[in-house]
Amino acid sequence: MSDQSEAASHSGREVSSERGRALANVMFNAALAVFFVTLFIQAGELPSSMWEPLGAGSFPRLVLGALVVFNLAIMAQSTAAFRRADRTASVGVGRWFLQRRLAFATLAAFALYALLMPWIGFALASLVFLLAVQVILGARRGRRLLVAVIVAVVCSLGLYALFSHVFLISLPPGRLW
Amino acid sequence: MPMTDALLSSVEQLFSLATLVSMMIGVVAGVIAAAIPGFTVTMAIVLTLPVTFSMPPLQGVATMLAVYVGGCSGGLISAALLGIPGTPSSVATTFDAYPMARNGEPGRALGLGIWASFFGALVSAIVLIIAAPPLALIAVKLGPWEYFSLILFAITVVASLVGKSILKGLMMSLLGLFIATVGQDPMMGVPRFTFGVDVLAAGFPFLVVLIGIFAVSQLAGEVENPAELHQGQALIRGTLHFQPLAVMREVLSRPLNLLRSSMVGVVIGAVPGAGGSIANLIAYDQAKRASKTPERFGTGIADGVVASESGNSATAGGGLIPMIALGIPGSAVDAVLMAALMVQGISVGPRLIMDNADLVYGMFLAMFLAAVMVLVFCLLSMRWFLRITAIPKSIIVPVVLVCCAVGALALNNRITDLYLLIGVGLVGYLLAKLDYPLAPLVLGVILGPIAETNLRRALMADEDWTLFFTRPISAGLLVLAVLSVAFTVRRILRQRKRMAAQA
Repeated sequence: MSDQSEAASHSGREVSSERGRALANVMFNAALAVFFVTLFIQAGELPSSMWEPLGAGSFPRLVLGALVVFNLAIMAQSTAAFRRADRTASVGVGRWFLQRRLAFATLAAFALYALLMPWIGFALASLVFLLAVQVILGARRGRRLLVAVIVAVVCSLGLYALFSHVFLISLPPGRLW
Repeated sequence: MPMTDALLSSVEQLFSLATLVSMMIGVVAGVIAAAIPGFTVTMAIVLTLPVTFSMPPLQGVATMLAVYVGGCSGGLISAALLGIPGTPSSVATTFDAYPMARNGEPGRALGLGIWASFFGALVSAIVLIIAAPPLALIAVKLGPWEYFSLILFAITVVASLVGKSILKGLMMSLLGLFIATVGQDPMMGVPRFTFGVDVLAAGFPFLVVLIGIFAVSQLAGEVENPAELHQGQALIRGTLHFQPLAVMREVLSRPLNLLRSSMVGVVIGAVPGAGGSIANLIAYDQAKRASKTPERFGTGIADGVVASESGNSATAGGGLIPMIALGIPGSAVDAVLMAALMVQGISVGPRLIMDNADLVYGMFLAMFLAAVMVLVFCLLSMRWFLRITAIPKSIIVPVVLVCCAVGALALNNRITDLYLLIGVGLVGYLLAKLDYPLAPLVLGVILGPIAETNLRRALMADEDWTLFFTRPISAGLLVLAVLSVAFTVRRILRQRKRMAAQA
């Protein structure tokens, strides 16, 4: 994979995604390792049993211990990859996020949708969400916007009706009314 | 012998109006889902799961199998008409079906794929029926030592087959095993790692993890590239001409290719972690190697379409073999099927076939029935396929996200599950971007409790832990686990060397 980053750095303008990726891997695994070590210590307080040699805590400790070993191994591997990668290239965090702005915008809209749902109810929240995301993804005018509105209305009210009447699963009606 | 009773009971349950209708809807949904690029079969099955909660067990599983079998065929539609695989399982289908369609024979390309899918599914269902019961009989005799070693083996196979790095694959499996320990401990009922959060008291909600990983994070990945959002400009114009019977004869005139590709699919489907996305490529490759005219592959020949489509459809039955016989899912989709049974209170393991014979026979029959339904539906609705593939991602993604929200809410109707879903989706998206494979995580979550219970049972029966290495079957499985890791490491190192040599 280091070849790719070399190829990328040769082309000049490209950012070294390999370097950014290696750095992200190191940080991510370091954070996980700390978390798992904490849990490993906590798991020691789980009760043991008189009936079996392994108590409630042993299996989780086994798994957590192995996880930390793997975290360290991936960190070592990524550190090596980070060193190998071209140092003059920027890590490109900002550009990485910018390139994926639509994905993050969609996820953010989904989060807002979840926050709104208990208040305004499933049907209305879905209507707003469906319309908003379609607009974000490019249905801005003309026929596409009209299609977006139709899809939003049909799917939000349709799913609400389908689940509450056919599958008898009640979806949040909304606290405000 | 209660076997005939079980068979009759399963027929009675399966051929009820409600089951037939829900299976038919499932088939349609599966075909459509797989036909739309960016909407995978796994997504469709994960989202079908909550709908089946209110159904009796067999109806629920039969509906999900219908989605699965439909999905195995649906991917060929966009592969043939757009040259884009509708699901990862139909990558090899684009090699020959698309050139064939561009050469003015889109109807023949689709027809070949549909019939090949049908026969692939049929062969796999037959192998499933022959192989699963005896395997279960052997599996019941396995002690907890063997079972634990078997799970370790399954986990290493998954980790070595999926993704680019075996370290990351194994780490994700372990993470799955850890997530499975959240909640009550399986032997004593002691709460673990709940951090005082009520939602976690009953364990990490598995359905939410599934939807988050297989749907939300994948959907986020689909909308990254603004240029791809307005897809669906079909390159094939005009009407589809096709003669179903002539095409069927064309498929059947290649019995060797059909059988070989189907068996490749069955075997690969049965290996944990490998599924249709690998089977179609291997089946295609094998057909090409065996062919007298390998140079014609890729130009739009029937053999290529038949190999790829029968190969990927046959994984459906293959994946069910370890699930029914051993309680170990052969793929992410089978993990979801297993979860569906577990939600219904049915414990999945080698005793499934003895304790719930009617259910297992029903699943066998449902495979056949679904294959026939897919065939009929596809042949009847072929002319509308072009329209399905033209739905842009800007509509698909938000609509499916709303379905994800419904799915997460359906189980407990808790808004916290929805927040958890978004968290899992975001983490899954970032993990996928960092090249962490997600399938091992899901298999880890589902195998975790089984692994722990068997480990603890083994040591309860005998405190001597060396038994894992001295009991022959257990030792053999552990050796296989080590070998599968070793081979993968060797393969990766060789690849690196070759790449370094090229550079």
